[in-house]
Amino acid sequence: MSTTDNTARPDAPDADPETLIRFENIEKQFGRLVALENIELEIEEGEILALVGDNGAGKSTLMNILCGVHQQTAGHIYYRGERITFSNPSGARDLGIETVYQDLALMNDLDIASNVFMDQFPTRFEAGPLRIIDWATTYERTGEILEFLNLDLDPHSEVSFLSGGERQLVAIARAISFDPELLILDEPTSALSVAGTELVQERMKQLREEGHTQVVVSHSFEEVFDLADRIAVLYQGEIAEVVSPDEVDKRTLTNLITTGRR
Amino acid sequence: MSVVTSLDFDGGTDGVVLTLLDNMIWPILAVAVLGALVFVPQTFTNLRSIELLLHSSVGLGFLVLAESICLISGHFDLSVGSIAGFSAMFAALVLSPSNWAVFASPVAGVVTILLVGALIGVVNGVFISKLGINPFLQTLAFLIIFEGAKISLSSLPVSDLPSGYTAIGASAEVAVGALLLTFLVVAILMKRTPFGQSIYALGSEKESARAVGIDTDRMIIAVYGLSGLFAGVGGLMLTGYTTVVSPDTASGLVFPAFAASVIGGISLFGGRGKVSGALGGVLLLGLVQTALNLSGIGVAQIQAVNGLILLIAILLYNTRSNIRQRILSAEATQ
Repeated sequence: MSTTDNTARPDAPDADPETLIRFENIEKQFGRLVALENIELEIEEGEILALVGDNGAGKSTLMNILCGVHQQTAGHIYYRGERITFSNPSGARDLGIETVYQDLALMNDLDIASNVFMDQFPTRFEAGPLRIIDWATTYERTGEILEFLNLDLDPHSEVSFLSGGERQLVAIARAISFDPELLILDEPTSALSVAGTELVQERMKQLREEGHTQVVVSHSFEEVFDLADRIAVLYQGEIAEVVSPDEVDKRTLTNLITTGRR
Repeated sequence: MSVVTSLDFDGGTDGVVLTLLDNMIWPILAVAVLGALVFVPQTFTNLRSIELLLHSSVGLGFLVLAESICLISGHFDLSVGSIAGFSAMFAALVLSPSNWAVFASPVAGVVTILLVGALIGVVNGVFISKLGINPFLQTLAFLIIFEGAKISLSSLPVSDLPSGYTAIGASAEVAVGALLLTFLVVAILMKRTPFGQSIYALGSEKESARAVGIDTDRMIIAVYGLSGLFAGVGGLMLTGYTTVVSPDTASGLVFPAFAASVIGGISLFGGRGKVSGALGGVLLLGLVQTALNLSGIGVAQIQAVNGLILLIAILLYNTRSNIRQRILSAEATQ
């Protein structure tokens, strides 16, 4: 049974310059339960990597390690070849890792701009703890992000009256406002209509074209085959295989998910 | 502004309706003024009578401010009246030469009443955020505890207070000016600062607020601390208004405080409302109270009317929410 290894290792392995994140022998235990083990995985810059697996396979645990909610019990994470450690979501954010959770974390009574910039408002005056919000810049920058996402929405619009797809994109807009290196999306279309799914998937492709790296946790085969550059299949806490959507069909992927073998 | 207004919509009629719904208190207040002018004209006989009306509303006004901040944050505070009454009694006994006589300085008295109010508020906040106690039950317990504690401290009125201490609430100009200035500062705080917006976020979706990085526990403690502080100021103003603290000081004021907040457009479910609207609610209640007093209606009936106003406020709130939702849903689907 492995234990937490906090010893720094100065001689980090040479990394492929295109590799943004590399997991090395990651293990995670909750008490006596081993949720993840022997995780070796690379996330390449600019790709959409799909993380798939059955319930309990370890997708959420791996995602939560990457976004700082959980810490691995053993193993290392490398970011552009540098070994990194972070112990909370703000540590991940400082490294440029943003997560859009399944529940979106939106505040329904507030408008789009307030949702996008909550807790990170641009200010026009600061004196000690007193900070005055620069609303003009807040709305302007929100408008720019919405335009970037090709969303024809007024930044003043209240979030509770948006469609499911628009709400998902507002959550993505918030993540983008931090100008992240890596965007993690947890089941981004699971609660959406056909039109909403199409809207979100189009914007995800657009983000890839703009060079944003994305990790998508998904149950939807259609989404995985349509969007992903590579698919990492988790089975009982281990990586069963990392495949390209071109080299597998749905049956093979189903076998990998349910048995860990092709 | 974080809350949708009519300005966000092109539809003329819908825009006007939404503006009216969000600022409903002001036409209601205008109608109430007209009604008073017609049926109880002595309410506005001269400037002095208007000054009296405003002055009599100051104590309640601070309690409404305390309640409004809590409601916007998605919480209740049933203890605002008890905190005001207890802190007023505590500070009065501290200052009174014939009682504890700890201080003679009015400034020390003001510091005492504000500290006691804020401290009780902070304890409310800590119990609710850290121990997870339901806000309704927590503040109900404090309502009962501090109402009882106030009477336990003294069953007799305390009147030998330093004139410098009572002068703040006794002077109509100072008291009304302090109320208006405080509402203005809090309105700016709520709309223009990240702190104020975090209170709206907390009231809208607590878990989302936490997920975006807001320290919700600290915010809840800050909100209840502010609520307690303003309740303490309310106690100070009530003390000055009558220049005496009696066992029934601030008793029963929590319900008018709720009524004024809700009729002023503050959401009972958090995340919505403007403190400027709550000020309108204070003025409306003050006007109704004064008009009823002048028309010779008895105290018991006035209490019943207060209850009726609370009921009307809640009904208006429901109607307003329904209409607002219908209009905005229609806009969203267009």
